[in-house]
Amino acid sequence: MELFIQQIINGLLLGCNYTLIAIGFSLFFGALNVVHFSHGDICILGSFILLILYGISQAAGLFNTLPALISIPIFVFTAVLLTGLFGVFFEKIVIKPFRLSPELMVLVATVALGIVIRETVRISYPQGSNPQIFPAIFPDGGFDISTLFIRYDSLIIFVSTVALISGVFLFVQKTRMGSAIRAISQDIEAAMMMGISVNITVSVTFFLGSALGAVAGILNGAYIGIIRFDMGLMGGIKGFSAAVVGGLGNIYGAILGGLVLGFVETFSSAFIPGGTAYKDVLAFLVVIFFLVFKPSGILGEKVFEKV
Amino acid sequence: MNMQKHHQTKAMAILFLVEIFILVGIILFLKTEGITGTILFIIGIGGCWYIFDRFENLQNYLTSLFQGERRFAIILGLILLISLPFFLRSNPYLIHLCMISGIYVMLATGLNYQLGSTNIVNLATAASYGVGAYTSALLSVHLGISFWLVIFAAGAVAAFMGFLLGLPTTKTKDYYLTLVTIAFGLIVYILLNNLSWTGGPNGIGDIPPPSILGFSFRDEIVLFGLRLPFQANYYYMVLSFVLIYTLISQRFSFSRTGLTWNAIREDEIAAKCSGIHVSRYKILSFCINCFLDGVTGAVYAHYVCFISPENFQFMLSVMVVTMVILGGMDNTFGVIFGAILLTLLPEKFRIFAEFRLLFFGIIIIATLVFRPQGLFPQKLRKYT
Repeated sequence: MELFIQQIINGLLLGCNYTLIAIGFSLFFGALNVVHFSHGDICILGSFILLILYGISQAAGLFNTLPALISIPIFVFTAVLLTGLFGVFFEKIVIKPFRLSPELMVLVATVALGIVIRETVRISYPQGSNPQIFPAIFPDGGFDISTLFIRYDSLIIFVSTVALISGVFLFVQKTRMGSAIRAISQDIEAAMMMGISVNITVSVTFFLGSALGAVAGILNGAYIGIIRFDMGLMGGIKGFSAAVVGGLGNIYGAILGGLVLGFVETFSSAFIPGGTAYKDVLAFLVVIFFLVFKPSGILGEKVFEKV
Repeated sequence: MNMQKHHQTKAMAILFLVEIFILVGIILFLKTEGITGTILFIIGIGGCWYIFDRFENLQNYLTSLFQGERRFAIILGLILLISLPFFLRSNPYLIHLCMISGIYVMLATGLNYQLGSTNIVNLATAASYGVGAYTSALLSVHLGISFWLVIFAAGAVAAFMGFLLGLPTTKTKDYYLTLVTIAFGLIVYILLNNLSWTGGPNGIGDIPPPSILGFSFRDEIVLFGLRLPFQANYYYMVLSFVLIYTLISQRFSFSRTGLTWNAIREDEIAAKCSGIHVSRYKILSFCINCFLDGVTGAVYAHYVCFISPENFQFMLSVMVVTMVILGGMDNTFGVIFGAILLTLLPEKFRIFAEFRLLFFGIIIIATLVFRPQGLFPQKLRKYT
């Protein structure tokens, strides 16, 4: 029983990570009908930016006087902000030129962008080809609830993910900019006629998505303690799968898809003998299964084709 | 009459010059080393392409020349391609590069049925290619079956896999279908890595090289009194396969099936309304693509004689998709050009060492930004 609850916690944490990436995919797809294939690499870019910031400040001894409770949130915030700006920048360069061309082009262009990001990270970080040790930004230890041991980092990951997702919900549902995002995702031309600036709205969307991705990368890096320049490829595919399983373009769907994928993976490696090697196989089989029997995702709207 | 004769000779002469120019260009490009040379060459290729693309008259003139003297152009081209290894004799690595380009041309022409003709983004090329390679390797290592039979088995197994992969097309499309293919490709990769009978991460070694009438392809070949390294055998084999693939591709393109695929690409609903069984044709394109990939995989496995899952990663599928899109979708010539260019460029970029893949990515992005429809977009068919 204890093992079971522990696995539920693990699945939840993995699901949180996938959800954060999947929300990015859903936002981009909702806004521009594009699949941003290098999104996973942007997430890893976020964690590397944090690593660089941390390294610089360690070397310069800038924040040694500040307690960790203050300095680490500053680092994380800066890294997330920078990654968000990078996301906006990449959108301007790589995705915007294809707004009128077939959707396929964006796919290939972003795949190439993924190569560029990965390689830049690998080259510019000292010994970037090797796995890097991620700084311990979470406090060690944990606490007991009856017989169950809960680590602080799990708690932080869960709470911050929930907080961020709620924040995104509020932003998209309640603010003026949020309604602009929803408007262009419904009908980009009609939104333009209503005086919504598509460029600014798209930029905000990409900032939001990339920043969430950076959070995912940082939380994941801090949790497992190691990051590698090419981790983003698989992370991106998993996040995309999560978004699709839940229904592309739907934020609730991204959460549901992320959790489904997280639980399938954790449970198959925990409860199936020899399942660790095949956890991805099972996860992807679930993805294919969902797509075949529920083609538009769990919460996706039924798409009626217009002639 | 005399006038016509004169015209013909002139056309032949121009064709001759053009083809020689291309061949010399390829040889020099392969042989250049050093940064300046490579950069100059890349600029040169870009310039040639720009001129060809910019001046429509030139384009039409060359195409009409080629169509007018079709037989001459093809025979001459073949002779030049056959002679290629003789110029690269001193450096087997360059022949190896030509051979690998051929492999990618085979994969890209295969994918073109889906991506180009039918607009299905199939990112499982590595899977079908890998299944073909592993089938052929297992059959020839464990059962000792001849290479020439094994390629068909490899194709058949891969085609069956393609059929399975194509079944979801009845329900899904667009990005969802793309994700199905991605997931499928990753599943195959993970299985190859973890199953015991595929050798796991160690792969399969000691795959016997193909042989004809006792002549092993691993032996050096003597042609016209010149000794060629053994890679030349494989080069000629791949060359003949490329010709067959191109021929098949041309025949399909001008057949009713090709037309049907294009109809599906342009508008699926309209195609359905015209009585086209959309799913059936999509599955057909999956099967053909995977069959060709499987055969290619068998050829590759018997060339390198050692295969491991690392050869069949997701990035390979991405690469082949990029070749088709960059070259020009549904245009066999463009696809061949894209495949060769994208195989040779990263190799040439080795001089940039660390920055190799970075430049590669930047070039792809730049090309797409400035030329979203590919380098050589397909023209409408002419039925004359």
